[in-house]
Amino acid sequence: ASKPSKGIAPQSHALEHSWTFWFDSPAAKSAKTKQEDWGSSIRPIYTFSTVEEFWSIYNNIRHPSKLAIGTDFHCFKYKIEPKWEDPVCANGGKWTVTFPKGKSDTSWLYTLLGMIGEQFDHGDEICGAVVNVRNRQEKISIWTKNAINEAAQLSIGKQWKGFLDYNETIGFIFHEDAMRHERSAKNKYVV
Amino acid sequence: SDKDGHGHGAKKYSRDFLLKFSMQFTELPEGFEIMSDVAEILNAHINTSPSIDYDSL
Repeated sequence: ASKPSKGIAPQSHALEHSWTFWFDSPAAKSAKTKQEDWGSSIRPIYTFSTVEEFWSIYNNIRHPSKLAIGTDFHCFKYKIEPKWEDPVCANGGKWTVTFPKGKSDTSWLYTLLGMIGEQFDHGDEICGAVVNVRNRQEKISIWTKNAINEAAQLSIGKQWKGFLDYNETIGFIFHEDAMRHERSAKNKYVV
Repeated sequence: SDKDGHGHGAKKYSRDFLLKFSMQFTELPEGFEIMSDVAEILNAHINTSPSIDYDSL
């Protein structure tokens, strides 16, 4: 077995972007009153910029199957907040894949590795990803910047399904529609 | 090669390449702040020894 590393090794592998893990816990959410912005309990945990730092964090945080019901866990490019109101996200949208409870761990990891390893042809379009742990299912979404750029969204959706070996149809929802129509928002693209 | 750090300026790493490092970095980065509400998402025994569930990788 390899010796555990302390801090960043001398020959660390820099990532193209720095990324920030954020989380929103059920406890924090319930402590908020309904008048407050739903996203106000989201907070950053750590920003990483090397492969080594990524693993140092990932290996010490719970994977989706072990997170409390109601948790939202995000990994977004540094300086992009995982909120609709963020100027970079405001005109964006998201692809979402769903899994039965406890079955998203591998796909969550592969989503993170695909993003931080810049495996998407339209990686510049990506804001980040989030996993929502709920009672009956776990959902992973990739948020993108320019929802109307159909070619880029379709490319990301198709590549993502390939990375996850996910065979069901997935849909892309504009944040604008999600804000207006909440759960009844319709898919604008499917792959 | 797995890594293409010279092509078009983007630092690309394949999944297999990234996974090679997964077992080597098991301690939290120095300076990581464990606030009370963050503790709930950390694996148990964080202050004693690394306790990593590699079965799920």
